[in-house]
Formats: sequence, structure tokens, C-alpha cells
Amino acid sequence: MKKSLLCMALLAASTATFAQGFTPTRPIEVVVHTGPGGGSDLLARAVALMMEKEKLLPVRMQVANKTGGGGAVAAAYLAEKKGETHTIGLFTGVWLTNPLTSAEAKVSLKDLTPVARLVLEPALIAVKADAPYKTLADFVGAAKQKPGELKQSGGSITSRDNVVRQQLQKAGGARWQFISFPGGGERIAALLGGHVNMMVIEPAEAGEHIRAGNMRVLAQVADARLPAFPNVPTLREAGFNVTPVPQVRGVVAPPGIPRDNVAYWEGVFRKLTQTESWKKFLADNQFEDGYQNAAELTKFYEEFSSQMRAILQEAGVKTVR
Amino acid sequence: MEVLTGLMHGFGVALQPLNLLWCFVGVVLGTVIGIMPGLGPPATIAMLLPLTFLMNPASAMIMLAGIYYGAKYGGSTTSILLNVPGESASVATCIDGYQMAKKGRAGAALGIAAIASFVAGTVGVVGLMLIAPPLARMSLAFSSPEYFALMALGLAMVVLLAGRSMVKALLATLVGLWLAGIGTDLFSQTSRFTFGQMELLSGIDFVVVAIGVFAVGEVLANMEQRQETPMIEVPKGLRNLLPTLQDLKDSRFAFVNGSVIGFLIGVLPGAGSTIASFISYGVEKAVSRHPEKFGHGAVEGVAAPEGANNSETGGALVPMLTLGIPGSGTTAVLLAALVLWGFKPGPLFISENPAMFWGLVASMYIGNVMLLILNLPLVPLFAQVLRAPVYVLYPLILGISVVGVFSTSGSLFDVWLLAGCGLLGYLMRKLDFPSAPLILGLVLGGAMERALRQSLMMSDGHLSILVSRPVSAVMLSLALLILLVPLFNKFNTWRLKALDS
Repeated sequence: MKKSLLCMALLAASTATFAQGFTPTRPIEVVVHTGPGGGSDLLARAVALMMEKEKLLPVRMQVANKTGGGGAVAAAYLAEKKGETHTIGLFTGVWLTNPLTSAEAKVSLKDLTPVARLVLEPALIAVKADAPYKTLADFVGAAKQKPGELKQSGGSITSRDNVVRQQLQKAGGARWQFISFPGGGERIAALLGGHVNMMVIEPAEAGEHIRAGNMRVLAQVADARLPAFPNVPTLREAGFNVTPVPQVRGVVAPPGIPRDNVAYWEGVFRKLTQTESWKKFLADNQFEDGYQNAAELTKFYEEFSSQMRAILQEAGVKTVR
Repeated sequence: MEVLTGLMHGFGVALQPLNLLWCFVGVVLGTVIGIMPGLGPPATIAMLLPLTFLMNPASAMIMLAGIYYGAKYGGSTTSILLNVPGESASVATCIDGYQMAKKGRAGAALGIAAIASFVAGTVGVVGLMLIAPPLARMSLAFSSPEYFALMALGLAMVVLLAGRSMVKALLATLVGLWLAGIGTDLFSQTSRFTFGQMELLSGIDFVVVAIGVFAVGEVLANMEQRQETPMIEVPKGLRNLLPTLQDLKDSRFAFVNGSVIGFLIGVLPGAGSTIASFISYGVEKAVSRHPEKFGHGAVEGVAAPEGANNSETGGALVPMLTLGIPGSGTTAVLLAALVLWGFKPGPLFISENPAMFWGLVASMYIGNVMLLILNLPLVPLFAQVLRAPVYVLYPLILGISVVGVFSTSGSLFDVWLLAGCGLLGYLMRKLDFPSAPLILGLVLGGAMERALRQSLMMSDGHLSILVSRPVSAVMLSLALLILLVPLFNKFNTWRLKALDS
């Protein structure tokens, strides 16, 4: 009897030191802003699997889909959970961009507790395989000769697709049309069908179309070349002096949570990003390791928001904040 | 010949006992989630993804696809019995299905829905098997102007869905179009009609409106009657609970129409099963010899949309498997599953993974047979639900509606929206406004507006792009024809009257 008591005391003491005062006691709710199958949803489910496999959490993670308002509903939900220690959220850059243009999106990432930045998503600039453009300069040059005649398919006007366009138009002195499609599949279909001339595409999406000979990549929207595309120049190498706006994903917690809770989450996600499972996940999806701790992430918010605000205003998008 | 060897190989995969079991698990699960409003196939598949890592990918794909097409079978059940659409693709089924139930023909409606699902589901798989690659290439020629023409054609169906008054039908359509405009505009990122409500930023989910206007509105209108409302009759005897030979005969064309339209629209990445089911309903009514029966319990009005939303499954898998392009929410999750299992979906997928593709195709034939055998015996069972007295039935309908809406989005805002739409549905009944045109406007409005604006951006503002392309020109002329026929008829009656006098 005495022995088991001692054991329990020892066990309690060891967990306490490991967890720096906080240990989750019930399942963790992971809030995402996309429906099942969306980018954040899939990331959350992959993270939950890896946490289990690498035994980083003593409890399970449950995904909560709070869709709507382009992230605004999920952010507001987290803000309402003030002080809640068993809820976290996965954010994307949309959580920063959306409050810039929508007055209704009142909660920004800055109102939540930063934990970690996890992923950077690079992108490629692709054209149809039979297009006459061999380099990015070819495309921009052709657009310059026929202003407004070439077309690009993409997402909303505040998406990275349009940001890249704005930057390239400015750097190259050209102008082309940007046509919004709500779904990624429709954007690719518009390019492959020859209805638009160019698109910004994620490497994992483009890979198979390139291999099948349907698509050609002109440049990559990244600071350094991706391992899977060693022969494709970055924007700078292609002769366009622009700073790519990163597409990011990371973790936040509700506001007003205890300090040891923040430290716990920081520790868990730091450890996650050092595991083999995580490295394999990044490689499989052709993501880049974008790890930043909470302090760096706070700084990143400011840089990202001001860069986006400037680009959007230049593009003629009305900003409200 | 190549198809035959592939199919033989595929049945070799699909008939393995374990794969048969997974196929069965998938279709049963699909039927169950189809019956329950709210939780749809994409959410179910996403939740099951972690489990599939323990399975062989071919078995997992067979099971997940089973959920996808199984849900289409189940979706009609609550539409017909309770006027609560189980999923967005079953909204069109409510129109005639519930009317049939009210006339004591719930069993026949459920039975014809299962048979139409089986026929069209199988036709969809045949299409997927035989003509997937060329069809996928052809679908790429379809762009924004063609989508606009397709949506315009769909909207012209309003004329066919109108009740006694065309003016009221058009007004209802306009309200539907306005509802579709609520939310953040994709092109300019400005909010429209959100009234400062964050929940409205991404627009209104049309399933909430459909359940509110159809189910809640119906309950409210019936509750008003002071005297005991007569119960919906359910005939006794198994024979009276199944479709008659005459029903099957009447639905002959609806099976073909639903199969073909569902499959073709399914192949297009920018349209889905909801649009497919509405368009095939409209076509069915347009060519029918007794269009006046539609909306009052015509059996073809159940067979056509139910067929369309099932063959759409086969169609939607075409761009996903041959090009790696997802056309709907469910195929997007299936595509993500393939990536997670280490496959590379894309143009080379079928030729590099023949066992997976043919196994899936063969399992879909088997799964459709399983679903028919599973669903037909359930028909008499489900039809008994209507035996419940109104003081049980109406609370049940309201309960299912609220739970269904809340479980889709997890937001109380949508429940309030449901209540508001219920009130709207009640008022529309009182004032004799037809509700189907409102739903049609809401379903098509968003996609139609986007397609028009995309087209005009492509042509630098010239409207000629809409008529200079053959496919869109043909569809727009058809739409115009549908709109003009009633006018012509009216003129004709007036002329005859004038001649007589």
C-alpha cells in the first residue's frame, strides 16, 4: 500500500516537472476554420495522428470545424473561450488578412495567444505545357505588349495568387486579368482548358500535371529553390525583385490563459516539429518548415499585416483596418 | 477488350471477402448518414480518415466511396417522409416526394427513389468505366460562359416550377437570388447584406433555407388548423407499399434522363449534384405529357432527381481520378485521402494504379446492388413512421430539422436562421407563393453570378462571349425557348378566344 502511494507521488512529481505545471486532463479541442477536408482540417487531423504516434500528448485531440466568415467565426470562437486551457486553434494567413478587409471580422490573431508558426507553403507559377512562354520574363513581357489581355486564374482578390500578381505587375510594368474561382479544382481546370494563361499553384497539386506533360512551371514563389524543383528559378532568380509574401499555418490559443499553459503548448509543438513524422509530413506535402516560437510569431503578425495592407491598397482593395 | 480485362481484374479485387465486407460497411454507413440530416459524406469521410491508415488503400477507397454513393440513397428518405432534405442533393426530391407521402404513397416514392438510384448509379459507373478519360478532356472545354448558360437554363426552369401565378414565382426566384448574394463577394472581398453579422460573411447555407421553408414552414401551416388534421394514410399490406408496375412504366424516361444529366453535370468541376437534380427535375417536367401532376406527387418527379444525384457520383469521380481535379466537397476529401495514403492523383493515376481504379469501379457495381437489396426492404419499415399521430410527427420533424442544421455548422446562428426561414415558408404558404423557385434561385444564384462575372472578365466586358461559343449559345437558346413557350401558349388561347367571339 505504502509502496503504491510512493509510486503515485513519484509519478505525479515527474509529470509535473515534465509539463512545467500544466498537464491536459481531458481531450484537446482543435478549432479550424475550414470544413472537413479543407486545408486546416486536414492539417489538424494529421497533427492529431502524429501527436498520438509520437506520444507527445497524454490525451486525444478532437477537431472542431467552426466554418464561416473566412476564419472570422473560428477566431471569434477562440476569443470567447478566454482562459480555456484545453482549446487551441490552427490559423492561416487568412486570419490576418480577413480582418483587414471585413469590418465584421472583429477578432484578429493579435487578440489571441500566439503559440507557434508551423508551416510555410511555397507556390509555383505555372502555365499550360503548350503555352509559348518558356520563362517568367516571357510571360510578363507578353502581358506588357498586350495590356489586360492575358489572364490568370486564382482565388479571392486577397489571396496569395493575387498578391503575387500585384507584385509581378509592379516589378515588370505589365498588367493582366485576375479571374477568381472559388475552388482549387476550377482554377486548374481553367488553366488546362486554355481559358486562362497562368496560375499560382501549390507544388503538390502541380507535380502530377507536370509529370503528365500538361503543365510547365516558370518560377517558384519562395526564397530558396524547393528540393523537388531544383531547376526552377525563384522569383528573384527569374529577374523580378519582389519579396514573396509567405503563406503560413500555425497554432494559437485563447486569450488570457495561464503562463504555464502557453509554455506547455510551445514545448509540445516545438517537440512535434523535431520528430521524423513531422519531417515526413512536410516532405509529402511539399511544405517548408516554418517554425517560429510565440515571440517571433508576434513580430511576424506585424510584418505580415503591414505588407499585406500596402499590397491590397495598391491593388485597389478597400481596407477597413 | 482492355475494359473487359480491367473489369475482370477489378472484380478480382472487389470480390475478395475483406473488400466485400468493407464495401458493405461503407454503403450501410452511407445510407445511415444519408438518412440523418446534418452530417454529410465529406464530414464522415474526414472523420474516418485516421482509421483508414490501418487498412489496405484499395479496401479503404472502396469503403469511403461506398459512403459517398450510399449517402445518396439514404438522402431521399427524410425528404419524402418528413419534407426534411437529408442532404443538399435531395432538396428536389422533397417537391414531389412529400406530396406522394401525403397521398399515402410514401412507400411507392421511397421504392422508386431506391430503384432510380440503382439504375442511375449503375449507369454512372458504366460511364466512369467506359468514357472517363475522353470525357474529362472534353469537360475542360467547358468554361465560365458555358457555366453561365447552364445556370441560366436551370433558372429558366422557374417557369416550370411556378404554381398558379407566374408573378409570384418570379418574385420568389428574385428573393432566392438575393439570398444567394449575401456574404463576402469573391471578386472584390466586400461584404454584401451582412448587416454587420460575422456569421453572414460566408453567405447562407442553402440547406438551412430549404429545411426551414419546406419542413418547418409545412409544420407551422398545418398546426394552425384548429380541428384535428387527418393523419397521413399509410395503406396496409406489403404490395401497396411498393411502387406499382405503372409507376415503373411512368418513370421509364425519368431513369434515362436522371442518369444522363446527372452523370454529365457530375463531370463538370463547377457544378454539383444539387444542380444536377434540379435540372433533371425540370427537364422531366418539361417533356412530360402531364406536367400539371408535378408538384402534386408525380412519381417521375421523384425518380428523375434521385437518379441524377446518384449518377452524379460516377460523374464526379471522372475529373478526380483522371485529372486529379475535385469537383465537389466529397471528392476533395477523397482526393486528400489518396494523397495521405501516398498516392499521386493526377493524369497518370489510372494507368499507374490499375488495381485501385478497376477495384473501385467493380466495387461500385457490387455496392449499388447491395444498396438496392438493403434499401427496398427498409421501405415498408420507414413508411410506418407516418403512422405516428401528428402530436408525435410534428415535434419529430422540428427536432430533426434543428438537430440537422445545428450538426452541420455547429452554430446557433443557423438555428435562428432556420426559425426565420420557417416563418418565411409559412408566410409563403399563406400567400400562395411557391417555395421551389426560391430554393432554385438560391442554389443557382451564386454560381450564375460568378460565371457571368468571370466570363465578362475574360472577354474584357464584351457580352458577346456568352453567345459566340456554340455550347453556351445552344443552352441559352434553350433557356429562352423554355421562357417563351408559356407566353406563346397564352397568346394562342387568347387568339382562339378572340376567334370564337
